[in-house]
Amino acid sequence: MRKEILFLIAKQFWASAFKSKAIYFLLGLMVLLLLYAAYGGIQYHDQNHFRENHQQMARESWEANPDKHPHRMAHFGTFAFRMKHPLSTFDFGIESFTGNVVFLEAHKQNMVNFSEASFSTSLIRFGELSMAMVLQTILPLIIFFIGYTAVVADRENGTLKILLIQGATWKEILYGKAIGLFSISSLFYLPFALIMVLILITDGHSTSDDWIRLFIVLLTYLLYLAILAMLTMIVSVSSQSSKNALVKLLGLWLLFVVVLPRASQAVGSYFHPTPTKLEFKGAIEEEVIQFGDSHDPNDPYFTAIRDSVLKVHNVQSIDSLPFNYGGFQMSVGEKISAEIYKSHHGELLNQYRKQNQWTKLLALVNPYLGVKNLSMTLCGTDLESYVGFQHQAEDYRYNLAQTMNELQVKYIKANVSSSEGAVNVVDSKEWESFPNFSYEYPTVGPALQNELIAIVSIACWMLFSVGMMNYWSNKASAL
Amino acid sequence: MYRLLFRQFVRTKTCQIGLALVLLLGGISIITGKQFLINQAKIADQVVEKQLTHIERNIDLHGDDLPLLLYYLKFTLVHATHPLSGFSIGQRDLNPSVQSVTILTLEGQKYDTDLVNPTKLLYGNLDLSFIIVYVFPLLIIAFTYNLFSEEEESGTWKLVNVMAKSTLAFLVAKLSVRFVLLALVMILLLVVGALVLGISFDGALLLFVMTSLLYLTFWFALCFWLICLKRNSNFNALALLSIWLVLVVLLPAFINSYITTKHPVPEALSTMIKQRDGTHKKWDSNKKETLEAFYKDYPQFASFGFPPEKGFDWGWYYAMQHLGDVESREDSQAMQQKIRLREEMSKQWAQVIPSMHTQLALNNIAGTGLLDHMDFLSHTNEFHEQTRLYFYPKIFSDKDPESVEWDRFKPEYFQVNGKMEWIATLFPLVLSIVFFMGLSFVQIRKK
Repeated sequence: MRKEILFLIAKQFWASAFKSKAIYFLLGLMVLLLLYAAYGGIQYHDQNHFRENHQQMARESWEANPDKHPHRMAHFGTFAFRMKHPLSTFDFGIESFTGNVVFLEAHKQNMVNFSEASFSTSLIRFGELSMAMVLQTILPLIIFFIGYTAVVADRENGTLKILLIQGATWKEILYGKAIGLFSISSLFYLPFALIMVLILITDGHSTSDDWIRLFIVLLTYLLYLAILAMLTMIVSVSSQSSKNALVKLLGLWLLFVVVLPRASQAVGSYFHPTPTKLEFKGAIEEEVIQFGDSHDPNDPYFTAIRDSVLKVHNVQSIDSLPFNYGGFQMSVGEKISAEIYKSHHGELLNQYRKQNQWTKLLALVNPYLGVKNLSMTLCGTDLESYVGFQHQAEDYRYNLAQTMNELQVKYIKANVSSSEGAVNVVDSKEWESFPNFSYEYPTVGPALQNELIAIVSIACWMLFSVGMMNYWSNKASAL
Repeated sequence: MYRLLFRQFVRTKTCQIGLALVLLLGGISIITGKQFLINQAKIADQVVEKQLTHIERNIDLHGDDLPLLLYYLKFTLVHATHPLSGFSIGQRDLNPSVQSVTILTLEGQKYDTDLVNPTKLLYGNLDLSFIIVYVFPLLIIAFTYNLFSEEEESGTWKLVNVMAKSTLAFLVAKLSVRFVLLALVMILLLVVGALVLGISFDGALLLFVMTSLLYLTFWFALCFWLICLKRNSNFNALALLSIWLVLVVLLPAFINSYITTKHPVPEALSTMIKQRDGTHKKWDSNKKETLEAFYKDYPQFASFGFPPEKGFDWGWYYAMQHLGDVESREDSQAMQQKIRLREEMSKQWAQVIPSMHTQLALNNIAGTGLLDHMDFLSHTNEFHEQTRLYFYPKIFSDKDPESVEWDRFKPEYFQVNGKMEWIATLFPLVLSIVFFMGLSFVQIRKK
């Protein structure tokens, strides 16, 4: 391939694309969509302020507690608010469908509640307008529209023959036009990249991890555009008429964007059913009781523990122990129930992962899904990011409950069983010294590992597109 | 002529692929609906079974202490599922259909979400309403975009011009063949679906079918208008797909984003904090004040008087739980109002956007919209209050668990019947059809 010829053809493609007025209209439309999506993204992300404020409110209220029995504090509990990742302005991912706040208290793992979707009408199910959505679903249509006639129209009106006679090779024509189309689509894409860079610069809290994420996101979409440009050329060169090329491309788009994702989720949930909430909670409760029920005074597990503790300290009753036995028993109970919860919750998450596996694997035949999955992960809005929040919240909850139990063991007299009133209390300074909840995003490395399939998918599609371009370079005819 | 046109059309590849696709997807959607209903039935069954064993087990453990027993006992309210929700799952997959609540502070319990895979929620359900709202319009576009232009592009239009009495009648005949075929397919899916899902053939189903058929007609009217512009196939395909994209993707997304950013609901978060503080801070205040506040709401119990300030008292404990609800009421109501406002705004916008209107209407008929869930939540409040009012006197007067008629506490069901708004559902669609027919008519007269 000769560089000059490639650029000549690419330039010619630009010139002809900009001859039609439609492209200015499309550019205008894209800019409007971008501005609205960016505005919406920033507004959504601004909900972090509400959450920060409320995290603060919950904390102040926690610290304002007077001297109290620590078990009262364990039930007073606190809240964990899920903060949005800075890049969630770009790709909302599953954000709107995950809960935002969870109440953390002793003995009990509460649900993460108040997802945006639970406040929304079913309009939200039509899809949300984010910058990523515009790039993933609308931009491909624009690329198809600008490029579907590229080769086939030249064949229809005979210019192809002239080009070939003048010495251009098929390879040069195909790649030249693909470069032309790719560069035009980059023109559409550029404002998105710039706005994201701007958003991250003005964010003020951005870390180098955020910048690495953004860089990979931007690169991913660039590759996506290259794949789409080549696909358009391949369909265009292999079609009989421009109408056929258009119908094929639109059909592909529908299949990739509308039909396959939903169908794959339907299949996934059909083959990997999840327990109902009642079953899930019932199973945990059952297992905890089996192991040892701290609420049952005659429970064999806990009576055995009590007896051995009494024996070690060589006393007859728990009242004569040098520490508060109630606190100790609760810490044992908390440990057991937390571990059992963890294993059941882990199973449930694995079931979700299996359900999603169909969608993930489908990325190998559907580049849209590959880009979508990778983009969500990098923007911190995928399932794993959410699971990360749940784990951190649960760890914090466990720590809170156990710290209160320790305080009870240490400071509450052995013969005290009631937690009521201002008599058996711990100094309120302890509440302040227990750290506040703060959520840490996972770093980009582990996040990427979760989406290896998507990365492989995009790489494969690049190779496949180049392969098909070369194949048609040899096979195409001018007639 | 109709028979020939029909045969000609059925032989095209577009028709065969299109029908095969919609039947396949339709089949999947009916299975999806069935799965959903089976799951709902399973939940309802488990609830009944669980409620019994749950009460028995706790009576065994805490049978000598009614207030302590009530600390653990959960009472269940089930949001009954209409079989039509198998056709249009709406928001029912993300909002729980069961409320299992203790008589403690309700605001801390009633918003508990269901266990669902959020990724699945993101992609949405492949239910029949999805096929109707998304897929049928695409088929209509694929079947009609070159209704006229293919004749001209292949050179047969001149022939038609010479042979047919009226070219308009010829186009209308071609269009009706496609309309009848797609309407039949839609009715077939609905009837088969109704049989599989066990939906009774009543007014609700009739309204569901009519809404779907009118939506189908709307798309035919729209396509016919575009055909009347007599542009080439490529233009028609692009224009129609763009219109589809605007109507079923961009506008709903745009409006949803507008409504949610205009009316954010931070009250949800403050409700949570206030109900906790409202309850738990009472441990540090004096018992008399707490009970005075409680008796203000329920003067009928004032005669039970005040417990000594020292030591624990169950009446005081439940009063303090109630005050958690009282002190978060303002925020909770503000949240409710905002959510209802969001629903109201969506409905208003939907009046002029048939795709949105149809989706919201189908959910409404099936009882799976946001409003249905809000009504369920309000009913949970009543349910909670009635349960509390039954137990309060027994708690205050130190009654034994034996004094309770436990048989009363079987799971209760919440169901709204007869919410069929015929005119509000059908009129906007009829209007949009008339609008595009009018446009087509003007276009034809111009030529």
